Amino acid sequence: MKERAIDDLTRNAYVDGQLDPSQLQALQAYLRAHPDEAQELEAWRRDAQRLREGAGGDDLPGNPALDPAAVRAGLRVRTRRRMAMAASLVVAVAIGGVTGWSARDTALASRVLPMQDAMQAYRLFASADAPQPDVLADAGDLQGWLDAYFAHAERLPNLSDSGFRPVGARLLATDQGPAALVIYENAGRRATFYIRPPGPGGQFLAQGSRRDGELVARYWSGRGYNYALVTAGDGRGQAAQVGES
Amino acid sequence: MIQPVRVPPDAPASTDDEMPADELSDAVLRQLLPRLRRFALRLTRDSVAADDLVQSTLERALTRWRGRRPQGDVRAWLFTILYRQFLDAQRRSRRYARLLSWFAGSDAAAPSAEREVIARSSLDVFERLPEAQRTLLWLVSVEGMSYKAVADVLDVPLGTVMSRLSRARSALRELHEGQAGEARLRILK
Repeated sequence: MKERAIDDLTRNAYVDGQLDPSQLQALQAYLRAHPDEAQELEAWRRDAQRLREGAGGDDLPGNPALDPAAVRAGLRVRTRRRMAMAASLVVAVAIGGVTGWSARDTALASRVLPMQDAMQAYRLFASADAPQPDVLADAGDLQGWLDAYFAHAERLPNLSDSGFRPVGARLLATDQGPAALVIYENAGRRATFYIRPPGPGGQFLAQGSRRDGELVARYWSGRGYNYALVTAGDGRGQAAQVGES
Repeated sequence: MIQPVRVPPDAPASTDDEMPADELSDAVLRQLLPRLRRFALRLTRDSVAADDLVQSTLERALTRWRGRRPQGDVRAWLFTILYRQFLDAQRRSRRYARLLSWFAGSDAAAPSAEREVIARSSLDVFERLPEAQRTLLWLVSVEGMSYKAVADVLDVPLGTVMSRLSRARSALRELHEGQAGEARLRILK
């Protein structure tokens, strides 16, 4: 392209009608002296006009999915789903299988075991590098703290006969609402009491117990919540002992 | 025909100042929706893909609105989101096409002819330009965006926009002249 006396900004601004009157006057004077360039810019202008005329011609059938209200609604649904997911992830990175209860009466029940989340919570919070508890037993009344979140729930189990005493508690999230884990200790051993709302259908658990690897869980329902007591069952007697307390 | 919005080169886009800046209202979005859809259609050349692109643009806009700069051109912002998403998708599909060609040894990821939008004759010539030139000409000539706003959408300096715009207009001119030449040859035959 040959060298030009006027720059690209001026040439294009002329084509797009964006020159102010004094700039326009100066350019028009220049173009009168340079008819080749004047012709080119006029052609550019015609091309732009032709493009604008063709631009509205695309057939745009209505698409209700693109209405902002519909997009917003879709986002809300997705956000809720994500929050439920996030809530379960708080537990799940940590606790996993939150849907266990909701699915326990479905065809999937054989694959999802009751109180899977309680087991996972135990594994997380009984480990050496466990997250800090929200409340420590010596800093306050654990029962009172628990009552604030779970009104009318069963009392904390008294495991003192087994030598376990509560040392701390942590609030957790499930997609049915808050859950809590209370940690008991006995000379370095840990047991956990897990309380959570029932699954979406409001299912309660039959009383029972099961073994998962090295862990033993005892679970039951009552007063509107589901409970689990989990401990490492390195000896059957010891686990049973805790469970019976 | 879409009426272009004329904006002086150095002034902020005045049309968007009329829109409430504190809220991305449905009314504003509905007003801009046909423009977004047409731009997406020109980019993707596929009406289904275009609407998907617009939908993901709206979703991103609605979720990111609060983090946005308080002042600025709403339309340019939406076009920027849409264009970036288009480029991302292009990159992904190019990678996918490379992957496919690795297996099939052909251009298996090209859009199918029947889903491709048939451009109206007045845009036939325009459609033969490379995507970057089409986008630039569309934003300037059809959308009437300020050069500064276009520079923001394309994420290039203003000077680059101006030189590319000249090149794009020259290229479009050459295609039009080529078409005119073909037409004359047909008449003579």
